[in-house]
Amino acid sequence: MSLEESTPDTVDTEPTTAEEIDALLGDLVLDRDDHLNAPGFVVRPDEVQDTLFRLRDEAGYDHLSCVTAQEYEDRYESIYHLKKYDDPTDEVSVVVPTPTDEPVSESAEPVYRTADWHEREAYDLVGIQYDDHPDLRRILLPETWQGHPLGRDYDQDRPQIVPLREHANPLQEDHASDAGDTMFLNIGPHHPATHGVLHLKTVLDGEQVVDVESDIGYLHRCEEQICQQGTYRYQIMPYPDRWDYISAGLLNEWAYARVAEDLADIEVPEYAQVIRTMGAELCRIAAHMLAVGTFALDVYGDFTAIFMYAVRDREKVQSILEELTGQRLMFNYFRLGGVVWDLPEPREDFFEMIRDFLDDLPEALEEYHDMISANEILQVRTVDTGVLPPEVAKSYGATGPVARGSGIDYDLRRDDPYGYYDELDWNVSVEDGCDNYSRLLVRLREVEESAKIIEQCVDLLEDWPEDERTIQSNVPRTIRPDDDTEIYRAVEGAKGELGIYVRADGTEKPARFKIRSPCFSNLQTLPEMSNGEYIPDLIASLGSLDIVLGEVDR
Amino acid sequence: MDLLLQSGTGTPTGTANATANASAAGPVTTLPETISGALGLSGTLGDVVGGLIGAFLIANIMLGMTALAGPWAKRKITAAFTDRIAVNRIGPFGLLIIVADAVRLLSKELIVPDGVDRPAWDIAPIVLPFSALLGFAVIPLGSGLQLADPETGIVFAFAAASIASVGLVMAGYASNNKFSLLGALRAIAQNLAYEIPLVITAASVIIFAGTFRTSEIVAAQTETLVTVAGIAIPGWYAFVNPFAFVLFVLANIAEIGRNPFDIPEAPTEIVAGYQTEYSSVYFVLFYLGEFIHIFLGGALIAVLFLGGPAGPVLPGFVWMVIKMWAFFLFTQWARSAVPRVRIDQLIEIGWKGMLVLSFANLVLTAVLVGVIA
Repeated sequence: MSLEESTPDTVDTEPTTAEEIDALLGDLVLDRDDHLNAPGFVVRPDEVQDTLFRLRDEAGYDHLSCVTAQEYEDRYESIYHLKKYDDPTDEVSVVVPTPTDEPVSESAEPVYRTADWHEREAYDLVGIQYDDHPDLRRILLPETWQGHPLGRDYDQDRPQIVPLREHANPLQEDHASDAGDTMFLNIGPHHPATHGVLHLKTVLDGEQVVDVESDIGYLHRCEEQICQQGTYRYQIMPYPDRWDYISAGLLNEWAYARVAEDLADIEVPEYAQVIRTMGAELCRIAAHMLAVGTFALDVYGDFTAIFMYAVRDREKVQSILEELTGQRLMFNYFRLGGVVWDLPEPREDFFEMIRDFLDDLPEALEEYHDMISANEILQVRTVDTGVLPPEVAKSYGATGPVARGSGIDYDLRRDDPYGYYDELDWNVSVEDGCDNYSRLLVRLREVEESAKIIEQCVDLLEDWPEDERTIQSNVPRTIRPDDDTEIYRAVEGAKGELGIYVRADGTEKPARFKIRSPCFSNLQTLPEMSNGEYIPDLIASLGSLDIVLGEVDR
Repeated sequence: MDLLLQSGTGTPTGTANATANASAAGPVTTLPETISGALGLSGTLGDVVGGLIGAFLIANIMLGMTALAGPWAKRKITAAFTDRIAVNRIGPFGLLIIVADAVRLLSKELIVPDGVDRPAWDIAPIVLPFSALLGFAVIPLGSGLQLADPETGIVFAFAAASIASVGLVMAGYASNNKFSLLGALRAIAQNLAYEIPLVITAASVIIFAGTFRTSEIVAAQTETLVTVAGIAIPGWYAFVNPFAFVLFVLANIAEIGRNPFDIPEAPTEIVAGYQTEYSSVYFVLFYLGEFIHIFLGGALIAVLFLGGPAGPVLPGFVWMVIKMWAFFLFTQWARSAVPRVRIDQLIEIGWKGMLVLSFANLVLTAVLVGVIA
């Protein structure tokens, strides 16, 4: 474990190309299994840590974006999708096959803390065991669940009986020991400030948090399996709306659109890209408005004015999105190769509507700054509470406003450009306070930046020549990517890096569809932020993470 | 409940009356005396009957005000702050929501969780409203509406109001719920930290007035302080010592646990604090108790700093009600506009800020009064 403390040294000549990495890993590499997005290196299950340490410390791959587990006919496989916070386009995949009869693989947790939950999920859903894992338990399903639902031999018809008595009795005596003076407290699953059904197992010393453990999975809806049963062309697109359902729908749809378009090599017309960019940023404003409003509620209690103001402004965005997509929440507006329909007629009225909103926004943001960020009581409550140092944030794979609030300059819209973002003029908001206050500021600033993007998109769309308004490219009715093509692609969702891994098997449905939820990784940082602080700060930190349980549990 | 209420306030009234009469210095005619006089009763019978009827009247006035404040005024005020409309469907201005809500709340199931510590769990919701009602026994409400006027009047009011803390602890401890326990612990910590500044600040007023008797404190404030452009400004202690007034109002908000000092129930943190497990009638009693406490706080502020029922044109009782409602509006304004601080910060403000300031105020007042007198 001594290696864990060693800081990744940034050598000038970090290996980046596949050949250089191959040379770096040397005889650790058994084989190559390249993915569309990154070179893939097959390693032995008992050399995972060696490989990852070498990649992290000597090649600078400091971001374990995702861990995908899957079962083939002849083997299990864990894939570690690595990236660099400095340059997320520089990716590498570490593929770890394990035999079907003994699916045991070394844990990556000592290298990347985020692997803790990701490997627990892999164990829970697919059934791969991880050696050296500090706490290999089920994470999404109840502890009494029989079988691993994404494994090949899983019997879906077998009734699962999960009696309450199998779980800890919430009323039983629960002193840590006879001498201990701590108290165990269940915060949630039904609690006013857990933003959904989250259960925090908290150990308190007086009012101070000694330890907090998140118990998730209450909102698990088999989203990955649902997507594996749908066809690429039409049947998957409605579901991303339901992952992060806090009006981030178009951002999520883009995650699927991007991965499927790259997988099937589909071009998207420029006009559609501009519409997508505009819609996605509208969604981001709506999502951040709610995040700010609920965070203020968590911190302020009955001071509901901010929440009402935030919801008022979010309502305007939703009306615009309703005009555009016909829906207020579950948009289903993107299609592979474009969007489903053009802007609503008359276009002038629609642009007018957006411009009205954008004109009012600076004044509204001024109000928020007056009421929230400039408020001394809020500053007393949030500055220097819930501190998440950048190194810890990176180790947990934190992304989005959580990472940017810890001073990590990382935004996929700029660093791994897609859509129309690289043609537009906007900035990435970064705050290096690492506390609850910084995360709040980042969200408020991002609303401003999103408004800038939307404004430029509206300008572009207004002047777009009428005969070049192609909303969809020619896409075959049935998409059948080649057998054994694998791809992992991410977009900047409202909460951070929303990635999807897809493996095609030559049919019109994905063989494996894995969702990398930013909330899942961000929520993992909660103990780091809350241990030693007061319960109100725990609640504030949870609010500042802005998790959506629908996306955490999928 | 009403029967209990009467006997609860009636008994001290009787004894307080007796002391007042015995001391032969009763400056005002109390309500029970008026009633017994009107009924032509005298002696112990007159005291008891007058006391009971008087207490019944005052308690019902207070409960009526609470009914208006809780289900209706609070919603309307909060809604106005956040640009909403709030209740407007039933009756004029939505006023009949009071009836609807009362029926709704009282008809809910009274859930008694496993392992609650009875009878403490059942007594707690009664202690809270009655401690506040008890305090009204010595408040001069104007127009002759004062139940008792003992020599130790203001001390009695503080003592009665403080009983509420016992109710909160009983509720929190007996509920067999950790959120309730945390809420109760917070309530104790907060009451300890803010009751001392509250009483110390009140003591500075008592130094000015030279008496504990509420009617005399009120009377001491009727003298003209200054005359500006022909309008005589009375010597209310809020004008004489505005610093003490501000301190007292703040400590009072903390004492009755309103925002921004509503930490004991802080819904986003500890669900509902000490009242987490209470439902139906018991919940109503807690809710009632909180609102009566707000009005008692307003009445204390009015008596100590705003000349009690004094005021031009309108009768004294109307002025008293206006002052109490003004304080209620103030608490609701604070609720909608001032964020909550954290429990450790709250305690720090109490012990390190308010306490020091209130002692400084007391010493300065004592010195000033000593020099002038």
